[in-house]
Amino acid sequence: MGSQKRIAKELAELTESPPDGIIVELANESNLYEWKVFMDGPEDSPYHKGRFELKLTLPTEYPFKPPTVSFVTKIYHPNVTNDDKGSMCLGMLKADEWKPSSRLSAVLEFARSLLGEPMPDDAVEGRIAEQYREDRKRYEEIAREWTRKYAGGAASS
Amino acid sequence: MAASVSASTSISHPLQADSRPGPFRRLSQLRAYTQTHFSTPHSSTSSSNSSVPNPQPRPRRHTHSISGRRLSWFSSHTTTRIDSAQPTTTDPSPCPEPRAARSRPNRYSAILFPTSRGLEIDLRSDTQPSDSSASNSSSESSRRPTPPTPGTPPTPGTPPTPEVMGRLRTLSQPHQDSQREQSSSAPVPTTIPNAALDSPDPVIATSSTPSGSKSKSGATIRFYPHQDPSQSTRPSLPFIPVSRTLPSDTCNIRVGRYSERDGLPLPNPSEPSDAPVGFKSKVVSRKHCEFIYMNGQWHIKDVGSSSGTFLNHMRLSQPGMPSRLYTIKDGDIVQLGIDFRGGEEMIFRCVRIRVECNRSWQQQPNEFNKNTESLIKNLGKGDTADYSGCRECSICLGSVLRPYQCLFMAACAHVWHYKCVSRLIHTPDYPMFQCPNCRAYTDLTAEVDDSNDYEAESANQQNSNSKKEPAEDVHSTTCSPQLGTSCTSNASRSSEDRRTPEIPADNLVAHVESMHLADGNPPMQTPESVTSAPNSNIDVLGLESLTQSSTTVPSRQEELRVDTPMRSESSDENPLTPRNDSGPLAFDGRASMSEDRPL
Repeated sequence: MGSQKRIAKELAELTESPPDGIIVELANESNLYEWKVFMDGPEDSPYHKGRFELKLTLPTEYPFKPPTVSFVTKIYHPNVTNDDKGSMCLGMLKADEWKPSSRLSAVLEFARSLLGEPMPDDAVEGRIAEQYREDRKRYEEIAREWTRKYAGGAASS
Repeated sequence: MAASVSASTSISHPLQADSRPGPFRRLSQLRAYTQTHFSTPHSSTSSSNSSVPNPQPRPRRHTHSISGRRLSWFSSHTTTRIDSAQPTTTDPSPCPEPRAARSRPNRYSAILFPTSRGLEIDLRSDTQPSDSSASNSSSESSRRPTPPTPGTPPTPGTPPTPEVMGRLRTLSQPHQDSQREQSSSAPVPTTIPNAALDSPDPVIATSSTPSGSKSKSGATIRFYPHQDPSQSTRPSLPFIPVSRTLPSDTCNIRVGRYSERDGLPLPNPSEPSDAPVGFKSKVVSRKHCEFIYMNGQWHIKDVGSSSGTFLNHMRLSQPGMPSRLYTIKDGDIVQLGIDFRGGEEMIFRCVRIRVECNRSWQQQPNEFNKNTESLIKNLGKGDTADYSGCRECSICLGSVLRPYQCLFMAACAHVWHYKCVSRLIHTPDYPMFQCPNCRAYTDLTAEVDDSNDYEAESANQQNSNSKKEPAEDVHSTTCSPQLGTSCTSNASRSSEDRRTPEIPADNLVAHVESMHLADGNPPMQTPESVTSAPNSNIDVLGLESLTQSSTTVPSRQEELRVDTPMRSESSDENPLTPRNDSGPLAFDGRASMSEDRPL
């Protein structure tokens, strides 16, 4: 129950002063543990002008257990699984890396920076990572295309 | 409290215990029994010589062929008693404590380097010290050149390269041998030490932790057991977290298989120590690896282990081959050996160590913990100064600044509400607590270290009447500084004692040490007096006569401080301490070897 207090606090902070390009709201007003996050693709990345929806799930043991972050919007990214789960691999969210003192704002900011700078070494999509390394142009092309297609990037062309 | 003090004393100084009535005496008898029992090959000699009524010290003395010359571990009164019964050359010249303690770190090498061989090298490499000491030594010692002090860092003028250190170390065992022989055989012109030893006051020994004034300078490294869930389902060898603070930068931490002779004194001594770290595993070689501190950086080196040292899963060297130095950083995982026979038996499990180093900044006064300190001090006083970074509980994100909250502060000065952090405290790892903010590990059951300079310093700044604080703190953990005046007479007495000679005593030790280094032999006795009777005013008297020599070797004095109170733990000094739980290790022949070890 202590977790609720903290989560409420973090949520309040995030809605009051949201980090750049990130909008946070509860997926369901009665459930503090499911968040809906809208993330704008950072500039100078192929995701620019896309708005991605993410789902942030908090365990009841939060902050002792890490939250999980997944992309609801499909995204072409080496660190996000290319399935309907869209799970994201964030180092700081691994159980042994997680610190209770980490904040959700930091998590989200980190996730966003990952859009700008994918980490092919920690990839969950090996094929995309390879392409990212070998054929950056092609990767950016596809990513841009997917962003347009899935992330409402109507204005992106 | 007085009771507990004297109890610990008696254990750490069995010699003194001998002179005392009651249970301690019985302990020593039992110890004597054990020793005789273990040293059966020699027991015939012993029994021929020994007379029943006084069995305690004897077995120890004839466990080896050169036993007659061996130094007595017992204080003077005991020694004389033996001498009457046994025609030994042993001179009551006191030597026992510090040297013995000092020698402990060298015992790894003692196993592998037979004395004779070591001595040859010794002659070549250490001619200068042996010359000087040889001139001082008696005919007895002509058998062997007198070495420099074992384990003593070389003279300040010539800081040795690590290789030299290594060589010195391997040589040190013979050093001890001959040194002990010599000191036992050669009547040494000691005045002060004798005076000190002639008044064996058991309580004295406990007070031998002169304030840890210099103790914070050394580099600190900690070893925590690491369980690697992803790598294997099998747990690695459990061990008590070990902490070492180097007495000087030239010391290394040797890691190897646990040996009874090394003891594992205090896993977390509050004073600097370079005592070797032993693990009770067969897959750990006796000399396995070393941790070396150089240029502000910790390094690890395999010293020819058979089953390998792994740094973050990378093997450092081929079997039996020493490796080069590898730098290690905080959080690195060092694995010693590989599980043998599936590691089902504890004794065949590998050791996985999580290294914590370079955290000394955290243990010293810094902006953050000073801040926290003032925060704590001003809790509820309506002082709303800006305590950057430490005013919020990182778990609930609530303020810790309000009064009437139960708080928990870790050693790293991070603060949480007790309620919030409690589930991180009461974990299966319980005595170990990992700070959720900075990941520093703390042993929550660690001995309270209140001999803190910083405390004293800040106390002086903040309370003008805080004079008594540092002294008292050193002495009794049970008395809070505030209660100082109402402390038991024992504590206050010794704190008085300490107050006067504090600074001089430090200097004294330093001087003594430098003399000790300078000529390697007769004055060697002086450190003992210091450690065995630190709170007596004799020290101060001695100081005057000793102040001439001025080169200071801080490391040694720290070593002395560390080792003296811990002797109890090392099994060959006190076989009664519950050390012999090593299982199979007892059968690999070293149990008897350790008895043969020249004392």
